[in-house]
Amino acid sequence: MVDLPENQNLEKEKINADEFADFLLDIGAFLMSSGAHCGRVWRNCKRIADHWGFHMNLNPTFTGMLVSVWDENDKENAVTRYKTAPTHSVHFEILTLISHLSWKISKGQMDFVESKKELEKIHRTKNYHYLIVALVVGISCACLCSIAGGDLVNCGTVLIAASIGSVIRSWILRLKINSFLSFIIASFVTTMIASLDTIFKLGTAPEIALATAVLYLIPGVPLINSVIDLLEGYLTAAIARSLFAASIITCIAVGMTLSIMLLGIGNF
Amino acid sequence: MIVNILIDFSLAFCVGYCWGILFGTPFKGLWMAGLLGGFGHCLRFIELQLGLGLIPSTLIASVTIGLLGIYCSHKVHNPPVVFTMPACITMIPGLFAYRSMLGFIKLSDQATLDRDPKILQEISHNAVLTFSLLFALAVGISISALLFRNKSLKDIHFFDVK
Repeated sequence: MVDLPENQNLEKEKINADEFADFLLDIGAFLMSSGAHCGRVWRNCKRIADHWGFHMNLNPTFTGMLVSVWDENDKENAVTRYKTAPTHSVHFEILTLISHLSWKISKGQMDFVESKKELEKIHRTKNYHYLIVALVVGISCACLCSIAGGDLVNCGTVLIAASIGSVIRSWILRLKINSFLSFIIASFVTTMIASLDTIFKLGTAPEIALATAVLYLIPGVPLINSVIDLLEGYLTAAIARSLFAASIITCIAVGMTLSIMLLGIGNF
Repeated sequence: MIVNILIDFSLAFCVGYCWGILFGTPFKGLWMAGLLGGFGHCLRFIELQLGLGLIPSTLIASVTIGLLGIYCSHKVHNPPVVFTMPACITMIPGLFAYRSMLGFIKLSDQATLDRDPKILQEISHNAVLTFSLLFALAVGISISALLFRNKSLKDIHFFDVK
């Protein structure tokens, strides 16, 4: 009776709990910092742990992840580890790639060494070039301006303002200073350019140009993820995410306030 | 009327596609993000024209995006959040957020407040609108997690996709 599960287990490879926990933490923290909500992190990790016969308990918080695993057939093979999440920057391609990786593992198409190599490859995935992102950000903010009721002049101003702001933000981020500072400076520059409409009375709706030019800075992913986490019961992560989003919004407001004060609040 | 709807669709398509690039959505998902964003936004446009309130119509549009996203994720082999998130961003309440923020800045000036005491009313109205619209969007995106809790989307089939 005891022999049968052990025989089956011999066919599978024996994985050290230390290495397995590290692998899970690597995946989980990476997913978290790329903009996945906690339910997704939990589901992906659970799928992998189930395949290799590990029990898993996971505590994802916004700043890091705590995982505790033990082997179903060998209670001694157990460990609890913690990892701090890397810097948060939204990159949805990672979500797709890691989801595919976890499905491949659960179908038994990959052994442990191969999946580690695959994860290394995923780590090196590049995001879109920052100049393309800047151009695209300008176009999308101009479209939003048009939807909200601005005319062509307003849209043009918004396109230039948002693109320049986005380029400046990526330059600042390269200096490796606090990322909140980059939000303040970017929103300051964007508002300065977009308020040209208000000062020189260009276009039909200068107010809308001001409002839509900074929309590319809005932390939509943390805001929406915090509500999802709240609904799914990951309270600590939900609170941390909403706090993070709120402080980014405050930074945007500070940048806008600076430029509005500089140009005179009576004009707005 | 139909021209207006088409213009709305194409603008929202651009927004969805572009936000997809900003969020690093894989190339295959970008079209889906644009199409869903355009569809959701013009659905909201039609509902608003029919006289429905802003918040209910946003909720209906975002829930539709969320449900369609489950179907589309089988087609393009991506997790749905990858393209429903940029699609829902097309309806982000930027103008209301801006108005409530501008109101807060004006609140710090005593003279402006004396001249126009209705400012407080406007701030609270805009802030409440902002938060309820955000919540409506989040409900739409997480509709799959709400309805089919802890079930992976690979097991959910509305129609026979394959």
